[in-house]
Amino acid sequence: MNDAIAAATRRNQVKSERPSIFGKSLAARKMRFGLLFAAPAFIFFGLFYVYPLFRTFYVSLFSWSLLDEPRFIGVTNYVNLSNDKEFINSIGVSFYYAIGVCVAIWVIALALALMFNQTFRFRQAYLSVYYLPAVISLTVWSLVWLFMYNPSFGLFSEFARWLGFTNVRMLDNPQTAMPAMILLSIWKGTPVYMLIYLAGLRAIPGDYYEAAKVDGASALQRLWHITLPLLRPVFLYVVVISIIGAFQAFTPMYLLTNGGPGSATRVLSMFIFQNGFQFLKMGYASAASVIFLLILLVFSIVQFRILRFQQQD
Amino acid sequence: MLRNAQRTLLSLLAQLGILAGAVVISVPALYMVSASLMSSQDFFAAQVKLLPSSLYLQNYVEVFSVFNFGNYLKNSFIVTGAVVLLNLIFTPMVGYSLAKFDFPGKTLLLLFVLATIMIPFTAILIPLFLIIRSFGWVNSYPGLVMPFAMSAFGVFLMRQFILAVPDDYIDAGRIDGASELRIYFQIVVPLIQPALITLAIVVFVASWDEFLWMLIVTTGDALRTLPVGLAKFVEQYRTRYELMMAGSVVAAAPVVLLFLAVQRRFLQGMAGLSGLK
Repeated sequence: MNDAIAAATRRNQVKSERPSIFGKSLAARKMRFGLLFAAPAFIFFGLFYVYPLFRTFYVSLFSWSLLDEPRFIGVTNYVNLSNDKEFINSIGVSFYYAIGVCVAIWVIALALALMFNQTFRFRQAYLSVYYLPAVISLTVWSLVWLFMYNPSFGLFSEFARWLGFTNVRMLDNPQTAMPAMILLSIWKGTPVYMLIYLAGLRAIPGDYYEAAKVDGASALQRLWHITLPLLRPVFLYVVVISIIGAFQAFTPMYLLTNGGPGSATRVLSMFIFQNGFQFLKMGYASAASVIFLLILLVFSIVQFRILRFQQQD
Repeated sequence: MLRNAQRTLLSLLAQLGILAGAVVISVPALYMVSASLMSSQDFFAAQVKLLPSSLYLQNYVEVFSVFNFGNYLKNSFIVTGAVVLLNLIFTPMVGYSLAKFDFPGKTLLLLFVLATIMIPFTAILIPLFLIIRSFGWVNSYPGLVMPFAMSAFGVFLMRQFILAVPDDYIDAGRIDGASELRIYFQIVVPLIQPALITLAIVVFVASWDEFLWMLIVTTGDALRTLPVGLAKFVEQYRTRYELMMAGSVVAAAPVVLLFLAVQRRFLQGMAGLSGLK
């Protein structure tokens, strides 16, 4: 993607004298039809995704309940946010959740991908079974896990009792509610990343391994010196996509705990949703969205830095 | 000798491990199906039951007759169908323009699409709602469908596939005097058919799964899709687990059936998404 943009920019610089778009030449015709084919995308992404980005910032400067007239209040929303314990808490909760989910997914998905990169009996059938959590929607899984976490007849609680824990109430306890969300999210999220890693592993040429084998490298050495370094771009991609995904998580918290108990699972998305659509504080929720965007922007910049480093290697 | 025995033992252990993993992963799904067939008496026992005491299909009847799940199912199919159709119409065109044409604003468009992938949906929720509201689309099918009419991932997927189409084919069409639209529909589209199927699968799953937006934009029961319908059901009947699970099975079934029907293509499609860096 980055390459594509870089290439496009370079092309623009080289070709400073562009043929007129109205000419009869092939280049002009291609330009017209390129624009024609691309036009729906300009309108669509512009209207529904890029313009809202600026609109969020604009709305964040107002006090507005949707029912009254918006009233300009400058940066008051931001000042209030910085004093809002609930907001500060929700940032912490989001980080807790994102780190808990992502780190586990990076490791487990890689391990599973390495496993499925081998040949063994019924591999394809197993792959389908292991992928099952990703197929069914998060809403459904949230309800299934709500059921599994039920203290009296949930399977998970029974399992915990069998392990020797007493009085297992995962969702009612502020200490365990978030781990319960994290467990469910790891379980649902891992298979997709497993496939992404697997595609990356498949792309590594077999010759490398043959050569290493000839040189007498052990399986562990091959993993450490060939597989993992070559998988680095895939890993970075997984890191970025999984973090963005984890920060957006909303469904499990909404369905299982509604942000509680207390505010133990009130992630940033939940905070924005509740302020915007339950308390109808459009400006306040927009200000929180802007902060949310800034946090993820920092992540993205770090990621691009790392990618650039990589290209220099 | 010993080494061989060791190796066999290890491979057997590995096989067992893989099997155990598969069992653990399937348990919640099996438990869901099993609980959907339990009568509420099975729950009063206040003890974990793995299997229903008898197959109780009444839950499914109730979910459709007493509660509105038939309607939710219909809405889910309408919305998902429309989203898939719109994506099939528009994303390949855009992918084609990005892969094979040079035009003013191309870099800008790439930035738009890239931004759409990177922007968290939650962060633009409020302005997007305001836009849809100003169109008068709140609680209407266009409001549910339009924000997903084009998937940014889909555009990159299409661009990737169309890049692999040789320029010669397209130029040959031009030499023969075919119009650009004809080249697109008669040369490019047939060549990327496998990619279109992948796109349809990926978009279907994502759209079937969409929850937050549908929750916000539907104000009454009439237009709720399955995820929202399920959520609203749970808000009211938090203890009717047998019905909750029956509803969940209804919501899960179409995607699972699709998956079982086209497993290989499904997995390739999902992995294909990752090829886009």
